[in-house]
Amino acid sequence: MKIRYNFLVLVTLLALILSACGGGAQATQAPTDAPATGGEPAVLKIGWLGEPDTLNPAYAFLTEAYAVFDLVYSPLVTEDASGNYVGALAKEWSTSDDGLTWTFTLKDGVKWHNGEALTADQVAWAINAIMADPDGWAALSGYVGGFSEVTAPDDKTVQIVTEYPIANMEYRLSFLYAVYPPDFESFTTPEDLQNFTNDKPIGTGRFILNTFDKDTGVILLDANKDYVDGAPIIDQVIYQKFDSADAMIQALKVGDIDLLSDVPASAFETVKGFEGVTAVAFDGRSFDELIINDVSEDNDPAPTGNPALKDPAVRLALETAMNRQDIIDIVLQGQGTPGDTIVPPTLGGGFWHNPNIKTPEFSIEKANQILEDAGYVKGADGVREKDGVRLEFRLQFDVDSSNYPRIADLLADWYSQIGIKATPEGVNSDTLIAATTGVGDYDLVIWGWGADPDPDFILSIMVTDQFVIGGWSDAGYHNPEYDQLYLDQQAAVNKEERQEIIYKMQDMVYNDRPYIVLYYSNYLQAYRSDRFTNFIESPLGLDDDASLAQAKPVQ
Amino acid sequence: MARRDYLLGKFGIALLTLLFVLLLDFILFRVLPGDPIRAVIGRNVRISAEVQESLRAQFGLDKPVFPDQFVDTLGQWAQGNLGVSWSQRKPVSEILISKLWNTLLLIGLGQLLSIVLGAILGLLAGWKRKTPFDVGALTFSLIAWATPTFWLGIILLVAGSTWFGLPTGGIVSPENVGKPLHTVIPDVARHLILPTLTFTILYLGEYMLIMRSSILEVLSEDYILTARAKGMSHFQVLTKHGLRNAMLPMVTIIALNLGFTVSGAIYIETVFSYDGLGNLVQTALVKQDYPLLQGAFLLLAVSVIIANMLADFLYTYLDPRVKAN
Repeated sequence: MKIRYNFLVLVTLLALILSACGGGAQATQAPTDAPATGGEPAVLKIGWLGEPDTLNPAYAFLTEAYAVFDLVYSPLVTEDASGNYVGALAKEWSTSDDGLTWTFTLKDGVKWHNGEALTADQVAWAINAIMADPDGWAALSGYVGGFSEVTAPDDKTVQIVTEYPIANMEYRLSFLYAVYPPDFESFTTPEDLQNFTNDKPIGTGRFILNTFDKDTGVILLDANKDYVDGAPIIDQVIYQKFDSADAMIQALKVGDIDLLSDVPASAFETVKGFEGVTAVAFDGRSFDELIINDVSEDNDPAPTGNPALKDPAVRLALETAMNRQDIIDIVLQGQGTPGDTIVPPTLGGGFWHNPNIKTPEFSIEKANQILEDAGYVKGADGVREKDGVRLEFRLQFDVDSSNYPRIADLLADWYSQIGIKATPEGVNSDTLIAATTGVGDYDLVIWGWGADPDPDFILSIMVTDQFVIGGWSDAGYHNPEYDQLYLDQQAAVNKEERQEIIYKMQDMVYNDRPYIVLYYSNYLQAYRSDRFTNFIESPLGLDDDASLAQAKPVQ
Repeated sequence: MARRDYLLGKFGIALLTLLFVLLLDFILFRVLPGDPIRAVIGRNVRISAEVQESLRAQFGLDKPVFPDQFVDTLGQWAQGNLGVSWSQRKPVSEILISKLWNTLLLIGLGQLLSIVLGAILGLLAGWKRKTPFDVGALTFSLIAWATPTFWLGIILLVAGSTWFGLPTGGIVSPENVGKPLHTVIPDVARHLILPTLTFTILYLGEYMLIMRSSILEVLSEDYILTARAKGMSHFQVLTKHGLRNAMLPMVTIIALNLGFTVSGAIYIETVFSYDGLGNLVQTALVKQDYPLLQGAFLLLAVSVIIANMLADFLYTYLDPRVKAN
């Protein structure tokens, strides 16, 4: 062992000296496949700060994994850049009048990456596998809830029968990838299935996985020349993992990578100034909010929240005394829009966001008046109180974010001007989770969400049942009427009807203020426009599969 | 005889330390607040409470920490089994070994360069005391030693990639992943230049300072005067009498550093996205991957203990006083 190691050091040292003498000759570009057009193959390198946890869709939890699945696998339907659902494997589809039977006709000529033809049987098998083993398919089993039967009546038709009408069927289907049955057939227990790493997935998507190197996090994907809707223009996509955002930005600057999938807001202006680089900002799906403890006492084993927070007047004052535009300008360098409801304006291309909600204008004076009218009187130290309850709150935030500490300072300052003492306190995210799930051991928390394309998930975080350990509710919002509406919207197959319910739900949450949504942050990306053009700019990102398919090298 | 007893004593202490580390290793990560399941799946993914429960059972987290989890873990360790990483679903030992080689390569190179250069610089500076060379070397070393790792790393990264076209991260270019060794080695070497340079600069100062003060002390000893009186040349005095005696503190600090730098490379590895142990520990901590964390910390602790034992062993050769006792 010792000898081998010495030898390795020696060889590397030698090579180091040699390469240093060579003046940093560029490493040779790897021509993995002969390009169709002749000349250098067009290789697009994408830098990101993470890597997929696994390429096994049964057990993948990180968004990076789903980014790869979108390129390699195809579902029946998929979301397009404007938020509509279009066919991926399916050519067309229809719903029965009772909303319980969905019939999909597959496109002609779809082939697996190994050249075999795709059959409807295989698509049905992939969905049935999830229904049969929900524990094993932990990451996807949530999407088949309420499915009772999936069949393939003929070679081109898939039929899904559900127990009750499912309003967001298309959204759910967009995660149910057609996996290659022989890859997944042999597992007998959930553990077997989950231990499968699927490092060489066979799919039907626009790109074929060439290599996933778990050690370096590097992913190589080759263009699928036989893709049913036409081959991508570029030849290869490479994902490279970085551990430091600064290093990644430098890599874009010097051209080591061609696309940054996520630019930090603080670096956006700098990146914009790089020569040959185009930085783009579009409305994203995530927002940050101020959580107000809304946990009812009978739902909290040891309530520690300040009772004054239950007073709607206090909540209104908290919102009136915050200047959202200031927060955006100072903290996000302008890269965001003022928030109001928990459904971001980008979902469904804007279809689900309630546009009628008006936030109060920022006014310290008005906020003071609201508290005054509600009977909160300033004490000697300038902090208001009523019936012995002082308006003194903990203001906690996740220390992993570089934005939250600054938001906390801004809020604490505004609140001090209206007789509210808010003490900023940075804690780690696990502590925050422990303090906000199943218990309400906090007063005010600054935190954020990334919403799903469909509003169902983001609406679920306000459902009473979700306020348990392992659930998603942290505000502890409890409103039976809201809970009923949540179930109603799930069953409302008519889009307009569902929209109306969802508008109503947003009204409720907005007016009761378990959350004060601060802003919707922009989604910031950048790419080497001196090398590649023709991406689709949408909330799905420049590296969405449809966008990568039409991207082309600059001649 | 004396040496054997001395070494046996040191070995016993090392063993005790190891046992203590094992215990601490288990407790340390379990007193951390938070829920590993939530840390693994993040906040944005929809996993029902039932599925989370089943994961918890799979990881053995549904059982009480004492005695169940403790006994289970000890039993596994006793069989030489470090368990399976929750976040990567691979045996911990397999993950550790693949990263260990990368880290050893970086640290080995960096330590080698910084020790050799630092010792030479320190020796010369001590020898040429109070000359401009000494002042210059001293100033450089103090600055290098005080420089924050992260900062120096990013500065060198920007400079190296802008002016010399050196890579901005990773251990090998993405195109070369999985290629045969002879294509990969020059590429790996290019990727090593900047992190190794950072490492060398950071540690060089420390070695230089130790060597300098050590040689100054030795040079003021009577036996040096005697050696000179015998008519030995400057060079002979320095190498035959000075260097060997001045090496003792160096051996101590080298041994300590060898142990600690396995974990100390964490900043360098993060800046250069270098795929090594330090980086692994950081990710495992964020994901609260207990088995991986325990394995990594065990490995780090063992390497510190071994490095210390190595130093003790070397003493018996270098220092006659240890031999005599």
